[in-house]
Amino acid sequence: MAPLTLTPKERVMRTFRREPIDTMAFFSGMGMVVMPAIRKLGYRFSQVHKDAEKMARSAIESSRMFGFDSVVIPFDMTMESEAIGNTISLYENSKDILYPTIPQKMWLTMDQVNIPSNIMELGRLPLLPKAIGIIKKEAPELPIGVWQLGPFTQAGQVLELDILLKGVFKEKAKVEATLDKLTEMCITIGQALQAAGADYITLREMGTGTDLLSPRTWKDVIQPRMRKILASWKSPKVLHICGATDMIIEMMADCGADAVSVDIKNNLLETRKKLGDRVPIFGNFDVFALPCKEETTVEQAVAAIKKNIDGGVDAVWPGCDLWPDIKEANMRAIVQTAREYGSKPSACVGRL
Amino acid sequence: MATKEELLQLLKDGVINYNEEQVKEASNTWLEDKHTALEGIMDGLAAGMEVVGELYEKHEYFVPEVLMCADALYAGLAILRPHVPKSDSGAVAQVVIGSIQGDVHDIGKNLVKMMFDVAGWQVHDLGRDVPLESFVETQLRTDAEVVAISAMMTTTMLGMKKIIKMIKEKNPNVGIMLGGAPVTKDVANLFGADGYAESAGNAVSEGIKMIARLREMQKK
Repeated sequence: MAPLTLTPKERVMRTFRREPIDTMAFFSGMGMVVMPAIRKLGYRFSQVHKDAEKMARSAIESSRMFGFDSVVIPFDMTMESEAIGNTISLYENSKDILYPTIPQKMWLTMDQVNIPSNIMELGRLPLLPKAIGIIKKEAPELPIGVWQLGPFTQAGQVLELDILLKGVFKEKAKVEATLDKLTEMCITIGQALQAAGADYITLREMGTGTDLLSPRTWKDVIQPRMRKILASWKSPKVLHICGATDMIIEMMADCGADAVSVDIKNNLLETRKKLGDRVPIFGNFDVFALPCKEETTVEQAVAAIKKNIDGGVDAVWPGCDLWPDIKEANMRAIVQTAREYGSKPSACVGRL
Repeated sequence: MATKEELLQLLKDGVINYNEEQVKEASNTWLEDKHTALEGIMDGLAAGMEVVGELYEKHEYFVPEVLMCADALYAGLAILRPHVPKSDSGAVAQVVIGSIQGDVHDIGKNLVKMMFDVAGWQVHDLGRDVPLESFVETQLRTDAEVVAISAMMTTTMLGMKKIIKMIKEKNPNVGIMLGGAPVTKDVANLFGADGYAESAGNAVSEGIKMIARLREMQKK
């Protein structure tokens, strides 16, 4: 393998600008904190969500330990819902690795949705600018990725999702009004994180794949809000959707993101055919089978990453949150494969 | 006065077109006309849900439509189920169902639960964010034939393996159904499960196939 000539930050930022790079980046826009790093720092999983220092250090250590090309914060999806006033479960006594959840939502109807204007000052959200500051100082070589849930997915954190799903047909005006409020919140928080120094941002409208919503609903209800949010954020910005995306991938590419991200349910070869070199494609890498599954050998993980690269991705990027309890050998081999096998140009990004 | 066939069609169409009022009205008339409640459930409501499953598989319906159809089905079930004599319902089977600890999503779980409700099973719904041990304890206490566990995230999915191990050690004959976005056939096999559904919608089509089989069995 030729020596690396770019820093991780240069590699990632050039990928977004579609400028030639030394070799393919391994990075993510979603959770990428791993247990070997958390253990090395002497923390427990439940502690890294509520302390800026611990959050920043575990993100940096995860990346440095395995050679990831970025750090990503936060790790959990409940920060906004908690800031609004909901109580979270941190599972502090659990022996398993469990992300915080919102067991009970205080709002029972869409009419109750009311986003505080000072949301960035509430709950744990103030930790994020602090953590960004720490990472910038301690790991200037690593670009900082942040993310926001899209309004439909966020609605599932503040309301029971079936209210919204059924409401799409039964109470469309209320659904639109609820999504508009959450869209504004998403814009505000994203802009605040960018102002604090985040280098790129991912809009995760995870729960809107076509295993849940029809392409028609996506176009009618989701796409206008994706466009609005992405237009309000600076580049680089990524749009990610989990689950079935084959039927909406072209609409996803038409929302103003600098790259689109998909999970393993996407037919990557077809997606690349449909999009050509219009927009970089990330993801489609199995975050359980490759780095975590006990039975997956290093050779199998390497083969799958080669297939991912051959499928047409422009960066090796996990298709969802990286599960924290990775197998170290597999993780190292995955990053190494991105470096070695990714030395040739991809559809959207050339090589130096 | 509507004929028996017309009433069955009203029940079926009411479910397909998510028309709760139509289903309620047809269910009440069905009982007033002294037809057997179980036949109304299986050949009206469940038959409608079978069509909903087909529409879902053809990508004509998506989860919002299916949820509304489920509401219509439940509206009818609430009226008809109390009139099914215990000996008719075939309620010989029990299922323990819940979303695993760390997961507060339950749309898929509730759709699968509906299938068991329709089929007349005794359902022990543990809700969501359920500690692993609760699945095991409830299965042992009730001697349920099936345990159905849902997880939406990879992070929580791994707990399924522990539950299956704990249950199968004590009672190897229990059928285990897994469901949720990260659950693949490979994962279900690996964890030692007997069945799986990868999404709420997939749970619907799998569950509907189950109902279809049940309807066939009842006709024999």
